Amino acid sequence: MNNQELGTRNSELPRAWWFLWRLVRYGSWPWFLHLVIISTLLVLDFIPGLIGRRFFDHLPSTRPVAEAAAGAFHGLPGWLWLLVLAHALQAAAMTALVFGQMKTGVTFVQENAALLQTNMLARILDLPGARALPSSPGEAISRFRDDAEEAAGFMMGFNGLAGVACVCAVALAILLRTDAQITLLVFVPLVLVGAVVTRTQRSLQRYRRKSREATGAVTGFLGEVMGAVQAIQAGGAEACVLRRFRTLNAARQRTAMRERVFDALLGSVFWNTANLGTGAVLLLAGQSMRAGTFTVGDFVLFSYFLGLASYLTPHVGRILANYRRLGVSFERMAVLLGGAPPQSLVQHDPTYAGCEPHPPPPVEKTPADRLERLEVVDLSYRHPSGGGIEGITFSLERGTLTVITGRIGAGKTSLLRVLLGLLPSDGGRICWNGRVVDDPASFFVPPRCAYTPQVPRLFSETLRDNILLGLPEPSADLDRALYLAVLERDVAAMAHGLDTTVGPKGVRLSGGQLQRAAAARMFVRDPELLVVDDLSSSLDAETERTLWGRLFEGTSPPDPLSTPVERRNDGPGVRREGTTILAVSHRWEALRRADQIVVLKDGKIDAVGKLDELLISCEEMQRVFYTRSGCPECVPRRQDGSTA
Amino acid sequence: MNRRTFRLPRHGDLLATYLRPLAAPVAALVVLLLASTGLQLAGPQVLRAFVDAALAGATAEYLRNVALLFVGLALVQQAAAVLATYAGERVGWSATNALREDLTVHCLRLDLTFHRTHSPGELIERIDGDVTALANFFSQFVVQIAGSLLFLFGVAALLWRVDRRAGLELTLFAAVALAAMIRVRAVSLPYWQAARRASAELFGFLEERLAGTEDIRAGGAVAHVLHRHDAHLRERVRRTVKAHVIDAVQWAVPHNLFTIQAVISLGLVVVLFRDGSITLGTALMIHSYTWLAFRPLRTITQQMEDFQKAGAGVVRIGELLRVRSALAQPAHPVPLPAGPLAVDFEGVSFVYPETDERPTTNDEMAGPDEPHSSFVLRPSSAPALQDISFHLPPGAVLGLVGRTGSGKTTISRLLFRFYDPTEGAIRLGGVDLRDARREEVRRRVGLVTQDVQLFRATVRENVTLFDDSVADARIWQALEAMGLAGWARALPHGLDTLIAAGDRGLSAGEAQLLALARVFLKNPGLVILDEASSRLDPATERLVERAVGRLLGRGGAEQRNQPSARTRTGIVIAHRLATIERADQILVLEYGRRVEYGLREVLARDPASRFGALLRTGREPFPAPSSSFRA
Repeated sequence: MNNQELGTRNSELPRAWWFLWRLVRYGSWPWFLHLVIISTLLVLDFIPGLIGRRFFDHLPSTRPVAEAAAGAFHGLPGWLWLLVLAHALQAAAMTALVFGQMKTGVTFVQENAALLQTNMLARILDLPGARALPSSPGEAISRFRDDAEEAAGFMMGFNGLAGVACVCAVALAILLRTDAQITLLVFVPLVLVGAVVTRTQRSLQRYRRKSREATGAVTGFLGEVMGAVQAIQAGGAEACVLRRFRTLNAARQRTAMRERVFDALLGSVFWNTANLGTGAVLLLAGQSMRAGTFTVGDFVLFSYFLGLASYLTPHVGRILANYRRLGVSFERMAVLLGGAPPQSLVQHDPTYAGCEPHPPPPVEKTPADRLERLEVVDLSYRHPSGGGIEGITFSLERGTLTVITGRIGAGKTSLLRVLLGLLPSDGGRICWNGRVVDDPASFFVPPRCAYTPQVPRLFSETLRDNILLGLPEPSADLDRALYLAVLERDVAAMAHGLDTTVGPKGVRLSGGQLQRAAAARMFVRDPELLVVDDLSSSLDAETERTLWGRLFEGTSPPDPLSTPVERRNDGPGVRREGTTILAVSHRWEALRRADQIVVLKDGKIDAVGKLDELLISCEEMQRVFYTRSGCPECVPRRQDGSTA
Repeated sequence: MNRRTFRLPRHGDLLATYLRPLAAPVAALVVLLLASTGLQLAGPQVLRAFVDAALAGATAEYLRNVALLFVGLALVQQAAAVLATYAGERVGWSATNALREDLTVHCLRLDLTFHRTHSPGELIERIDGDVTALANFFSQFVVQIAGSLLFLFGVAALLWRVDRRAGLELTLFAAVALAAMIRVRAVSLPYWQAARRASAELFGFLEERLAGTEDIRAGGAVAHVLHRHDAHLRERVRRTVKAHVIDAVQWAVPHNLFTIQAVISLGLVVVLFRDGSITLGTALMIHSYTWLAFRPLRTITQQMEDFQKAGAGVVRIGELLRVRSALAQPAHPVPLPAGPLAVDFEGVSFVYPETDERPTTNDEMAGPDEPHSSFVLRPSSAPALQDISFHLPPGAVLGLVGRTGSGKTTISRLLFRFYDPTEGAIRLGGVDLRDARREEVRRRVGLVTQDVQLFRATVRENVTLFDDSVADARIWQALEAMGLAGWARALPHGLDTLIAAGDRGLSAGEAQLLALARVFLKNPGLVILDEASSRLDPATERLVERAVGRLLGRGGAEQRNQPSARTRTGIVIAHRLATIERADQILVLEYGRRVEYGLREVLARDPASRFGALLRTGREPFPAPSSSFRA
């Protein structure tokens, strides 16, 4: 955990009990019922000890017996029947209560965890999209799952603690009445050992964390190796990789064994406490037993209670240790909320109110959404690790194509993200038809604006759902979107077409297919402004050419490398409808069509203009695109050029 | 639960293979568990002796000794139990780690056909998940089951000695309870599976959405995602509560059975005591044994459950180990010649093996290293290459040209012997690939792809691919040659700096140069560059091109007529014509067929040549600034 992260947040973070109280208020009925049930259950669990004592106290009185009745089961004494009845009632009551305890307890934990998870996800989706998570999604998942459940589950542990207090009070009262001296001599060491061992929980958790880290190192390495199997085979590195894997395995074995043995040792201490207690009772009771003041029945009661205590004490230790961890759990969850107040973590959300929710209604495009002119004035963003953009000013008119270009690291993607509110801007303003956009993140969404990122994500759903993302199908022109994204042939080649499951758990799409699926996602929303990050990062030149061609002319241009089978002239290009496009690219196909090109250099605008002018006037543009002339080896010769 | 998983021979094979080297710890484990069991049996005997002695008026000293004996036995028993845990863990971890290593090596040896259909996540689950489920089987199963049964038999025998009926009754109870508990486990199993599935779906959903916040926000799908999340949550809450409530049966059935047993035992004790056949101490002993008999029953059912879980894992591990690479190793390998390697394709045809598991869109494009679109329709049974022949002399460079899906990458995969050709022969330095050792082929051929696969490891390990025997001087030499030395020197910990895939500190160009340094270090006789620079912006691309020039060795424009002046043979695959400017020969592919092959200079001048036409149409992005552009 990041110390700085902790330090800055601690001041405003409420105490763990405040959160717990809000959770209890959210699920007050299940919580209260659970408290009552578990306390009753634990007290009932003490009853077999009392039955045992009564039994052994009565047993000597059954003697002597008539020879005739020997061996017969009928004619058993009445007190035995009473004890049998007590046993049966206890078992029946406990059985019923165990089901009730599960129902109330698990309902409380699950619904509270669900509340925490919903609140976390809602806040995360509220944050600037490109900086939504403080760490990897896999790490965030552990906060969603483990921390949420740990936090919600603590109140059940707390109830258990209350139950243990009840049973101890009852037991103590009975035992003290039986033999005060022995009770104290057994109880005091038990509490002391419990207290000492509770302190060791921290070490146990440290071992557990180390062991988890070692496991993470093994599986992480395995994943990387299997993902890069071609590089390893090509590099002939199998033996070296195995050696590394063996080292990691050995480290994991060491940490895991330390954890397990320590755990076993702790368990053993509790058992030994009970056994030592029983031994102590024997030592002390020897004399009184001989004298008849301490009966075998009393011994049975004591040893039963010690058995019960040996299994309850570690439970108490765990709960106390959990409380300490709880603060960290709320902390870890609060970090996910970004700037939102930590209190919103336990905000009682009406979304999860028991009734089946309706899908959100689609957003309709209104005349007010129509884009006439977009202005970016003095926009700035500083990346925490350096870089970013500074003082960006340009504007675009309805129906034009603006291409942003520059070297890698010039700030092209940052500019798009800041404009769209996916990164927070540090200064400047954005005006849509002359009006300042206050919250770009919620403004630049469909139907006003849609975006294809450089590395888009598909989710493990059908391709159709991935493209629609909740858009109701009848109103969406999916075919047109697929055609514009040059995806229609790929879809036709898939076994189940649009119903093919894609994403991490489905068919693996190539990088180009992924990007074009994201483009289809953008087209199907029919937005006023299209924002496209560098398509050429995974599209080959041919496909990108086709895409731009369809976007502008609605046709595929001719292609000398392939037989002319895929000309199509039936789809209208997007541009005819006056859609405005803002794209990052350094590809010729885009640049030559641009109404204006914005050249970025080190996060600032170097020049704005048309391609012809820029290649003559802009040094950076020349450096990026034209220095090849000084390098005869890499210039493609043209018919009218010097070669041929 | 499926009976099929109980096939013992496979479990037996695994036990024999992986426990044989661990004979000593296994023996220690057995001894410790037996000792622990025996000591547990002794406890109630001591109690009986104590009670009977106390009631008979024994001396205080005698009673104290018996009480101390009780405490001593308990302490020794716990010590034995802790040591048994240690021995068991050692056996389990050693055996499963050996199995994990064997599986990893096995997977690394399998060809790309296998890896195309099995994602890394799935393999982690096989190599680690299934094997971890087996850990308990190795370390505990037999011993725990045997120990628990032994304890139960011990109790029954001791009771039998007291009274036949008591012994018989306990044996019967144990049998009935065991059967009932195992049966009850099966009741909640489907509910647990459903709950786990709902949970996995929720977190799978969440993880993907958390990784795609940018797409969700920009796509205006926040409400949609929250709605779907809510549906997943509800499903999970419902399933989990249900599974837990039904699972309470697991507690209720044994508890009630046990109450019956406790009641029967009370009756028996009364009868036996009344007719004078037992003392009060013996009654207490019977009472203690009754309570103690409960734990081994729990242990046995627990172990059976683990055994079933492990069973499914064993079946899957067996399946994985049975997958064999299609590539045979030669019986008498022929060594490859030193220096640059000639490459000959003689009538090579190749059809990708059918993969039955997943409907990939088509052909090789789904491979992780070729993220290109494939809008060429081709049934998967169509050959990826058809009758390809060419001869590339040592030190020459071949440029491969063709659209996505034309078979360019397939040629590089065949050269690496990721697959063998369906027809024809490939010779490297005059040696048929099938006659050379695969390891040697891969050592002598260097490959650079567009996607650089980086490891979360140090720069040193990323360059050497975890080979510790490479001296730093050689690493620096490689970095220097590839133009990365300045970058590496600026790193906070030099070669020991940690980098990772997708690391922000490493630009795409630097990653590409790192991959080139890897190949440089390997000093191969043939270098294959597969779209190595197509992702980079032109300025960065030039840096990479310069490094590629150095990697291929001397040989510029002036030396083109003496290709053998280069220290390595090269094959350059590219969509862009600029990247094959250095080629001596050009091979144009279309739908897996050779449509043009010849010297670059000749083709460039030939008016009928496709390659020449490509050059002339100037489709490529960067013509001279003064020219007017064609639409």
